[in-house]
Amino acid sequence: MMISFFRYGTLFVLTLFSLVSLSFLLAHLFPGDLLTNLSGVAPKDEKERQLLATLWAVDQSVFFRFFRYCSLIFSGEWGVSISSGLPLYDEIRRTLPATIELSFYSAVVAVVIGVPIGCLAGLKSYTKLDYTINAVAIVNYSLPVFWLGLAFILVFSLQLNWLPLSGRISLLFDIPTVTGFILIDILLSNSLNKGEAIANAIAHLAMPVLAVSLISGAALVRLLRRSVIDILDKPYIASARSRGLSSSRIFFDHVLRNALLPILPLLAIQITTLMTNAIIVETLFSWPGIGDWLLQAIYQGDYTAIRMGMLVVAALIVSLTIFVDILNRLVDPRKRMPTNATT
Amino acid sequence: MALLDIKNLTLEIPHEGDYIRALDKVNLSVNEGEVRALVGESGSGKSLIVSAVSGSIPKHWRITADRMTWNGESLLNLSKSRRLQIMNEDIAIVFQNPLSSLDPSVTLGEQIQESIPSRLVDGKWFWQRNASRRQTTIKTLHKVGIRAHGDVMRAYPHEMPYDVGQRVMLAMALVAQPKIIIADDPTRGMETTTKTQILKLLTRLNKTRSVAILFVSHDLLAISSMADTMTVLYCGQTVESGKMKHLRKRPLHPYTKALIDSAPSFRNDLPPKSMLPNLGGSIPTLQHLPIGCRLGPRCPRAQKACVNVPGIRHIHDHTYSCHYPLHRDKR
Repeated sequence: MMISFFRYGTLFVLTLFSLVSLSFLLAHLFPGDLLTNLSGVAPKDEKERQLLATLWAVDQSVFFRFFRYCSLIFSGEWGVSISSGLPLYDEIRRTLPATIELSFYSAVVAVVIGVPIGCLAGLKSYTKLDYTINAVAIVNYSLPVFWLGLAFILVFSLQLNWLPLSGRISLLFDIPTVTGFILIDILLSNSLNKGEAIANAIAHLAMPVLAVSLISGAALVRLLRRSVIDILDKPYIASARSRGLSSSRIFFDHVLRNALLPILPLLAIQITTLMTNAIIVETLFSWPGIGDWLLQAIYQGDYTAIRMGMLVVAALIVSLTIFVDILNRLVDPRKRMPTNATT
Repeated sequence: MALLDIKNLTLEIPHEGDYIRALDKVNLSVNEGEVRALVGESGSGKSLIVSAVSGSIPKHWRITADRMTWNGESLLNLSKSRRLQIMNEDIAIVFQNPLSSLDPSVTLGEQIQESIPSRLVDGKWFWQRNASRRQTTIKTLHKVGIRAHGDVMRAYPHEMPYDVGQRVMLAMALVAQPKIIIADDPTRGMETTTKTQILKLLTRLNKTRSVAILFVSHDLLAISSMADTMTVLYCGQTVESGKMKHLRKRPLHPYTKALIDSAPSFRNDLPPKSMLPNLGGSIPTLQHLPIGCRLGPRCPRAQKACVNVPGIRHIHDHTYSCHYPLHRDKR
């Protein structure tokens, strides 16, 4: 077990290393002055230029420059945005939690919707119910997320006027940013009407979360349905039935776990899709997340912001994927080393 | 009174728009306290009978029988809850392949414990009941010859060697204290000493608790010492059935004779270094079943009449189905 942890650790470090080198390479490939691309500041005079050049080691050899680049990144000195002039670290620190919050709730909602429906479809396989669920899931899965988001806006905000159109929370509520996660911030704040603030934040969350989670949930339904059908055919289910165990017992003790185990690594792939969808949805709902922010940076040709934003998002996805892999290894007994009885 | 009584069980499997008769009018009965052997080559449908009894036949297969009863209750149209109750309390099945018949994600201890019917668990509160379950499990594991019960209970199926898995399957069958144990080739792949232990255990259970045993195997040697009665199956047809000693002494069906002749230990008159007699050819596949008596193409005694399925004939409690049985020569 320790060996496999070590292996995942090495994988993680190596992937991060190559991501950092790629972003370093990007700074050299972007048009314009290398110093500006790295630091985000266009030096006004020779003195400032000299100062920045020493900090980013622009005049040194490439290896030394790369080494300095790495150490600056790890100490949180990410340079400033070319367009706004604000430190990138603070910018990303502000926008990333919003994206994580959106993706996390979407993932939770996707699991809450997807797992029961997928199991139901698998258990009632090849019936009308199963076909209906499958059809809905396929339609859902093939809808582009931006279209779904626009449709939601059209129906729920503009026609029915149930849900707010954009943003994270109504401007009436003054919530100081502590963690960057809106629901946690509300709970931490000493606002008078926390209940209303939370209701308002949830109303703002509802549409983007639903748009992202419906698509990931549909993928989950389809994966789980197939998996449950496969497991039901296994001899150990027949054997459990022949021991006279009740259906619910067979389902919860034998079917569910075995059905979820093989799709866990596939969910790691879904995380990428989910994050990407969340980033797209942010633009639609003006959700102040990293996707919205990155898109602005791309419009304005803000090379430092693009570089760091990509590095951070990629690092986040890599860590999540490796985390799910490790989790899979921990929960699947077949993947463990045979340590117990070998009589 | 027969515990398990099957008459004319026919099982049809859909194949390319048609139905194949995988089992063709099989007769089998197991009396109380009896050890019956069910013998046949691989592919003769032994395991199909087992799954038919356990009710784990896929829905789209067609199963018909004149009679398939458990203690006088028909197994074919049971309510779901009654079926579960019977399977839980009375019938225990030891499946062929322990590795695939055990859930890979649950420890063996838990799997054994969950097969204990609740009426056999003492105690009122859940911790008392859990302790009682654990006790029963440990005792049963010792009974099937596993001494390191802790290790085995913590282990997952893939961590087990084959024969330990087989013993765990047996333990799972025993914890329910069933009236009948249907053992589908429980000694397969075991070395002789282990095999003897398992056979002894089954015999002891049969003698002390009068558990009926349906022993499904192709291992004649293993069976002949313990079984009271034997049913021989060939390609989904019951060929011959009767008391073990009668069958051994004087088989009436050519297939039974070939089967017994091919086991050297049953022969005293075999000259040294002589070839063992056997039937030419091999068991036909389900897609190419011959009509009439399915042994026909391989049978040394086959004649024109064999294209019709032979009826069942009786000599006392010895039944066989053959147009030209062996006893006719001896007259």
